[in-house]
Amino acid sequence: MKKTPYFEMTNITKLFARVVANRNVDLEIHRGEVLALLGENGAGKSTLMKILYGLYKSDEGEILKDGETVKIQSPKDAMNLGISMIQQHFSLIPAHTVLDNIILGTVHGRINYTDCEEKVQKIVDKFDMDIDIHAYVRDLDIGEQQKVEILKALFLSANLLIMDEPTAVLTPQEIDKLMEFVRSFVDQGNAVIFITHKMKEVMQVADRIAVMRNGEVVAEFPCEGVSEAKLSNLMIGHQLVEVKSGTRKVEANTEIGLRVSKLNYTKNNIKILDDLSFDVGKGEVLGIAGVSGNGQQELCEALYGSIKIDSGLIELNNTDISNFSTRDRIETGVGYVPVNRHDDAMVSDMNLAENVLLRSSYDKAWSKGPFIGEKKLKAYSDNIINEFDIKTPGSDQKIGHLSGGNQQKLIVGREVHIGSSLLILNQPTRGLDVGAVNNIHAIIVDQCMQGKCIVMVSTELSEIFSLSHRIAVMYKGQIMGIYRPDELNTEKIGLLMAGYSGDEVAAHEK
Amino acid sequence: MKSNTGDLIFTTFFAIVAGFLTSALMLLLLGLNPLNVFAEAVAIMFSDKYNIGDIFVKSTPLIFTALAFAFTYKANLFNIGAQGQFYAGAIVAISVSLALQNFLPPAIVLIITLLSAFVGGALIGTLIGFLKARFGANEFLVSMMSTYVVQAVMNYLLRTFLKESKGEYPQTDAIDASIRIPRIWEGTRLHAGIILSVLVAVCVYILLYKTSLGFRIRAVGLNSNAAKMSGISIRKITILTFLISGGLAGIAGFTEVNGVQYMLIQNFNPTLGAAGLGIAILANAHPIGIIFSSLLFGGIEVMGNIMGRMSGLNIPASFIQIMQGLVMLFVIVSYFIREKIAVHRNKKKLMEAMEDAD
Repeated sequence: MKKTPYFEMTNITKLFARVVANRNVDLEIHRGEVLALLGENGAGKSTLMKILYGLYKSDEGEILKDGETVKIQSPKDAMNLGISMIQQHFSLIPAHTVLDNIILGTVHGRINYTDCEEKVQKIVDKFDMDIDIHAYVRDLDIGEQQKVEILKALFLSANLLIMDEPTAVLTPQEIDKLMEFVRSFVDQGNAVIFITHKMKEVMQVADRIAVMRNGEVVAEFPCEGVSEAKLSNLMIGHQLVEVKSGTRKVEANTEIGLRVSKLNYTKNNIKILDDLSFDVGKGEVLGIAGVSGNGQQELCEALYGSIKIDSGLIELNNTDISNFSTRDRIETGVGYVPVNRHDDAMVSDMNLAENVLLRSSYDKAWSKGPFIGEKKLKAYSDNIINEFDIKTPGSDQKIGHLSGGNQQKLIVGREVHIGSSLLILNQPTRGLDVGAVNNIHAIIVDQCMQGKCIVMVSTELSEIFSLSHRIAVMYKGQIMGIYRPDELNTEKIGLLMAGYSGDEVAAHEK
Repeated sequence: MKSNTGDLIFTTFFAIVAGFLTSALMLLLLGLNPLNVFAEAVAIMFSDKYNIGDIFVKSTPLIFTALAFAFTYKANLFNIGAQGQFYAGAIVAISVSLALQNFLPPAIVLIITLLSAFVGGALIGTLIGFLKARFGANEFLVSMMSTYVVQAVMNYLLRTFLKESKGEYPQTDAIDASIRIPRIWEGTRLHAGIILSVLVAVCVYILLYKTSLGFRIRAVGLNSNAAKMSGISIRKITILTFLISGGLAGIAGFTEVNGVQYMLIQNFNPTLGAAGLGIAILANAHPIGIIFSSLLFGGIEVMGNIMGRMSGLNIPASFIQIMQGLVMLFVIVSYFIREKIAVHRNKKKLMEAMEDAD
C-alpha cells in the first residue's frame, strides 16, 4: 500500500503575467527523506517552493499535509505547519548577535534570555553545528550565516526544510558539513527539499529526485542507480544525439579572430569564470556546452562587455577590447543574442523598427541630427524583416505581439548586422519551434561562412554537435576541455558536463 | 494595444465620475442638492468669458508640472518634486525680472526670464538625478523632500533679500507692467503662457518620440536591462531626464510670476506639483493628453471658485481641493486597477493558450 506523504502538492499551476511558471505539478515529500528538486535556471523550482512556503499563491491546485488539505497563504501559515525555507539571499540582521537573530519574531514582552540561550544552544549541540551564538552576524562568513538561517528554522521546530540552492555560496568543505547536517536532520524523521541544478550534490545527498523542466515535473525517481548522464538528459530535455561527424561542410579558417586569455570573474566571492582561455578562428563556430548556470552567461557578457571582468585579455582581430564599454564593442562589430530576450534584448512595448534601433541608437547612420531618420530606419527594418522571413504585418507592429520565433529572428537579424566580427549566441533557439530553430541554424551557418567568429552557448547538445567546429565544455566556470565533435560521444560529454575532468573521463572509458 | 486604450478610457472615465460623485456627498452633507449646485456652477462658468479665460489660466502651470512628472515617468523614474522645482523657477523668475526690468527691452527680459526659470528648476532636477545616478538614492524621497527645502529657501528670501521695498509683508515688489506676459484675450486674465505651454507640450512629444535621445529615455523606461545591454548609460539618462523635468516645472514659475501674480508671495500656488502628478497619470503621461487633462483640472478649479461664491450656499473654498483631490485619488487608483486588469487578461490568455495546446 502507498504511504501517505508528509506533504503533497497536487495539480499546482502558477501563472505570472506573461509566463507559465508551474503547470499541473504534482510533488510529494515523505518523512525521513531528502528530495532533490533538479532543473535548469527558470525551470520553475523556486516558484513551486515559494508556493509551498506561502510566498506565492498558486492559481490552481492544492497542498495536503498527511493526506489532509491545508491552506498556506503566508510564510506564517507554512511555519505553523512546520515548513521553513532557507532562501538564497539570507534575511539576517548584521548588527545583532546570532542568538538575537534566531529568536527574532518569536518572543514577546520581556525576553527571558537564559531560557532562549539554553534552547538555542541545545539545538546547536544536537546537530553539532559549531557556532558561537553570541557572535555578531556581521562577523560571520557566508557558511556560518547559512547555519544561522537553518537554526532560525529549527528554533521554530521546522520539520520540513526547503533549501534554495544552498550550496551556491559555499566552499567544498562547507558543503560537506551542510550535507552531514541534512542527513542527520532527516534521520530524525524530518524532511528536506533541496533545490539545485548541480548533479554531483544530488547524487551525494538525495533519496529521491524530481526533475523539473519548463514548469513541469518531467521525472521522479529514487536516487539509487541513476547515472549522471541520464540526469543531464532529463534536465535539458533531449536525448543526447548520436554524434555524426562530418556534418559541417565548411572548414574554419585557421586565422584567429577572437583570442581570450586567462579570463577571471568573481561575484560575491564566488569564482564564476575561472581562468578561461580559448580562441576562435574566423569562420569558426565554438560551441560551449554545459548545464546552464555554470558560467556560460557570464562568459557571454564578459565578451560583450556588460560585466566587468577581474582580469584577463580579450582580443578581437588583434585589438585589445578588454576595456571597451558595451557601446564601444557594439561599434567594433560585436553582436550578442542573450538567452533571455525579453529582459536583455528587446523592448516588448516598442515596435519592430524601434527594436532594430535599440542597439544602435548612437549610430549616426540612423539619425538626422538629433532626430531619428525614420524613413531610413524603416527601410532597414523592412530589409531585416524580408531577409530573415519575419512574419509580421509591418515594422510598426509592437514586437511583444509577435511569436517567440519571430521575435528571436528579428533579434538575431539585428545582431548579425551589428556583429560584423564576432557573434555571441546564448542559447539562440531556446523555446522555439522546429521551423524557427532551422531558420536560426541556417543563419548561423551562413554567418560563419562569411568569416565571422561565432561563440555559441547551448544546452541542446544536438545543436552544439551539428553546428560547432569545436566544442568547449564548461563546468563551474572552468573549461573542462575543448574537443572536435568527432572526439566526443554521448557518454563522454555527459561526464564532462557533470564535472569530470578529461583525464577522469579517459580513465572511465577504460 | 487596442484593448489597453479601451481600458484607459473606461477606467479614467469612471475615476472622474467617481471623484465627482464622492465630492457630491460633501454637498449632501451640507444639505444641498448636488445636481442643482453642479448644474448652476457649470452654467455660470460658461456664460462669462472671464471664467472661460480663467480655465486656461489655471491650466497653464498645471501643464508644465504635469509634463515634469510625465517626463521622468517615461524613463520609469519618479519626480514628485515638481512643486519645489516650480518654486525654484519662480524665485529665479522674480529675481531676474526685478533685476533686469529697468535695463533691457521688455521682450529680451521676458526671454531671459523664461530661460532662467527653466535653469532654476533644472538645477534642482539635476541634483535629484545626480543623487539617484551616483549614489542610488531613492529619487522618490529625494524629490519629495527637496520641495520642502526649496520652499524654506523661498520663505527665507521673501523675508530677506527679496522682501518688498515697503518692508511690510514677506513678498516681493511687483514687476513692471512692461514685462508681464502679454494678455491674449481682452476682458479676461488669459495670457500668452497657455500658448507657450501647448508649444512646450508639443516639443516634449517630439523630443520623446522623434529623437534618438527620447528613444533612449523611453527604452530605459520600458526595459532598463535591455537599454543597458545596448550600451545606453542609465546614469546619464537619469540625470538628463531629471534636468529636463525640473526645467519644465521651472517654467511654470515664469508663467505664474510674469503672467498672473506679477510678484512672489508666500505659500504661492501650493498644490501645483501634486495636481500635476495626478494630471500626468490621468493622461497616461502622454504630453498631448496632458494638455486636455490639465484643462479638466483647471475647469474644476474655476467651477469650485464659482461654487464658493454662490450666494446663500456657504460652500467652503476647500471644496475645490476636495474635488480635485478625489478625482486625482480615483485616477491614481484607476492606474493600479488597469494594471490588475492587464495582468488578469494576460493570465487568461495564457490559460486559453494552455488549454488550446492540450
